[in-house]
Amino acid sequence: MEKYALVITEKPDAARRIAKALDSQGKPERVEENGVPYFLADRDRKLVVVPALGHLYTVDHDRGGRNYYPVFNFKWAPRYKAERGAKETRAWVETFSKLAKDAEDFIAACDYDIEGSLIGYCLLKYACKDKEDVAKRMKFSTLTKGELEKTYEAPLSHLDFALIEAGKTRHEVDWLYGVNLSRALTLSAKRWSGRYATLSTGRVQGPTLRFLVKRERAIRCFVPKPYWSIDAEIEIKGAAYEVEYERKKIWRKAEADKVVDDCKGRTGKIESIDVKKYRQKPPYPFDLGKLQTEAYSLFGYTPRRTAGIAQRLYLEALISYPRTSSQKLPPAINYRAILKALSKRPTYKKLASKLLKKEELKPREGKKEDPAHPAVYPTGNLPERALSDQEKKIWDLVVRRFMAVFGEAAIKQSMKATLLVNSHNFYLRGRHILKEGWMQFYKPYIRTEEVLLPPLKEGEAMKLKHLIQEDKFTNPPPRYNPSSLLKKMDENGIGTKATRADIIQTLYDRKYVRDKRIEVTALGFDIVEVLRKHCPRVISVKFTRELEEKMEQVQAGREKRENVLVEAVDRLKPMLEELKEKEKTLGEALSKAVKKARMEERIVGKCPTCGTGKLIILYSRKTGKRFIGCTNYFNGLCTTSFPLPQKGTVRSLRSECKGCGWPLVEVRTKGRRPWRLCFNSDCPRKEERRKRREVQNLRKGSSK
Amino acid sequence: MKCKICEREAVNEYCELHEKAHQKVIQKYETWKKGIDISWKEYLNEIAENPYTGSWAKDVARHLSRKEEK
Repeated sequence: MEKYALVITEKPDAARRIAKALDSQGKPERVEENGVPYFLADRDRKLVVVPALGHLYTVDHDRGGRNYYPVFNFKWAPRYKAERGAKETRAWVETFSKLAKDAEDFIAACDYDIEGSLIGYCLLKYACKDKEDVAKRMKFSTLTKGELEKTYEAPLSHLDFALIEAGKTRHEVDWLYGVNLSRALTLSAKRWSGRYATLSTGRVQGPTLRFLVKRERAIRCFVPKPYWSIDAEIEIKGAAYEVEYERKKIWRKAEADKVVDDCKGRTGKIESIDVKKYRQKPPYPFDLGKLQTEAYSLFGYTPRRTAGIAQRLYLEALISYPRTSSQKLPPAINYRAILKALSKRPTYKKLASKLLKKEELKPREGKKEDPAHPAVYPTGNLPERALSDQEKKIWDLVVRRFMAVFGEAAIKQSMKATLLVNSHNFYLRGRHILKEGWMQFYKPYIRTEEVLLPPLKEGEAMKLKHLIQEDKFTNPPPRYNPSSLLKKMDENGIGTKATRADIIQTLYDRKYVRDKRIEVTALGFDIVEVLRKHCPRVISVKFTRELEEKMEQVQAGREKRENVLVEAVDRLKPMLEELKEKEKTLGEALSKAVKKARMEERIVGKCPTCGTGKLIILYSRKTGKRFIGCTNYFNGLCTTSFPLPQKGTVRSLRSECKGCGWPLVEVRTKGRRPWRLCFNSDCPRKEERRKRREVQNLRKGSSK
Repeated sequence: MKCKICEREAVNEYCELHEKAHQKVIQKYETWKKGIDISWKEYLNEIAENPYTGSWAKDVARHLSRKEEK
């Protein structure tokens, strides 16, 4: 076979797009070997563009089994050897090794970040046999034809070894902490109880769970304080307007009563009118964190989901590389070309044209920078296939945000009229947008409500129409949601933009937390309690941040990987010794926590028949089938039981049916939408649904 | 010694977690008394039923309320 250049990419979609962009005809040949697709492209020479499947190599213990700790000897090994569920990656590694034999040139074209650089490096070093020093590097932020061609013609002459060193350090340190600490927890529980349960913690996972536990403690210990608020309404030219009392919270009922007595049915006078005009600058361009926060608040997507959607849009060359912490848009991306391309889409035509009329396009930028990538921006390419609803939403959000950053400041006006009623002040507030500016580009995603007030004059008399005193209570601190937790991790400098969302998911997978408004489970609680008592450094935010800073120094070339690893091991060793010493106590506490958690998971709610027992998911000894039964059955007091679907997973929703008040369960089966089940056969809602169906069937029948 | 409410080890009467909630329940009584003239017993019943009260604080309020009845 004629010699060629081997182009290493991160994923099959990226390989296809890169091959298409580099092939002179734009039609590369797709070849498949052992289930591994790769592409043959012709340009100035023959190119073989091969995809990886994300990481094909990982850190693994050098020798010995999985049932002991501490373990400090590690090596980089193919994932198919190190992980049980990664058998399919063998064919990919073998394809790389085979294709490397006849290659005369090597080009790494993985995403330009820590993970991408490490994926390329490992393949070059291990699969292609020490080609890391001769390989070139394509650096790009979008998968557009123009940028790919440009970077192919002028690649970096060598790999970015600082990024690779940083990636290696991060993986190795995380492996050392994750494997050792998780084994310490899992094995101490197993040795004490004889039962296996996966318990894990890690360098970032521990402190993240600690944030949640701290908040959970505050919520569970919360005692509300009573207060009173005064709600009032006035009428101006036939229209009712809400006015607010000068004190939002009144802490004594007697005082609130007095305000009502003093003001009810009275007429007041407008004492003053304050009008303020202010400018609201455009938002910053999206970095990944901000995109995730915005998508959560607008569409309810978890950070992980948003990152996944954004990654797909990047692979379709619709947006730039999303895993960026930059809030900057350099002119090199060519703002005008992007806007011109976007204006081909009818939805954006008018808005893009407005911006194109400007003499100078200058984006508003934030302080955050990323050496590898600019902020997230649309490439200007239009979708080649029908996007899913979720993809459409995220793409539209990125496009509108991109346009908004070039907009002018919005001008808003606020008005506050003070109404004096029998020596009490009430405020009438209005908000009005005078000039939309950037808001016109970001319109569906703007969250401001206008309150327009009629013309008012000082000294004008107005009568309070309604005056209500409301009994209220202070609220507990809010629960974190995946988005606010991500923000908290970012603020505290723990984890990276690429790993934070996955760490939050691990907390769910381990059943340490549940629900969208995150609630810590008994197991999550006990894990932190046990670690706090016996090994507090594992969950220390300060400790994690320090290590994080050291790793950033490796990336900047100011610190050596070896030094960071030695320090990490030096810090880890005494922790593990402490855990080993207390293995029995730890094992007992963890085993009890696991047992309690397993039990808690099975409880569905209060028994509606006897009122004292708890309904629990049980398995029949005779048939092995699952059903719901009352715990009082074991005391001979209650025989209540209900059948359950036998397929899929069943979990308690910890909420009650709106029709009958019985506890609800959720049934999940593969490939189907989760199903909320009320197991009360006499539930009035079921009857309603049955009647509705009958009516629908009758209608269908009569229409035929 | 076990906590009077849960199975955890007790510091005094309660475990560390319920003890924290106990302190909050005691602290907040003053605010409630100033806000509405309310007796200790009434206060405990109020917070035990209040939807904003945390679960551990509710446990403590119910426990103290039962103690009062005895």
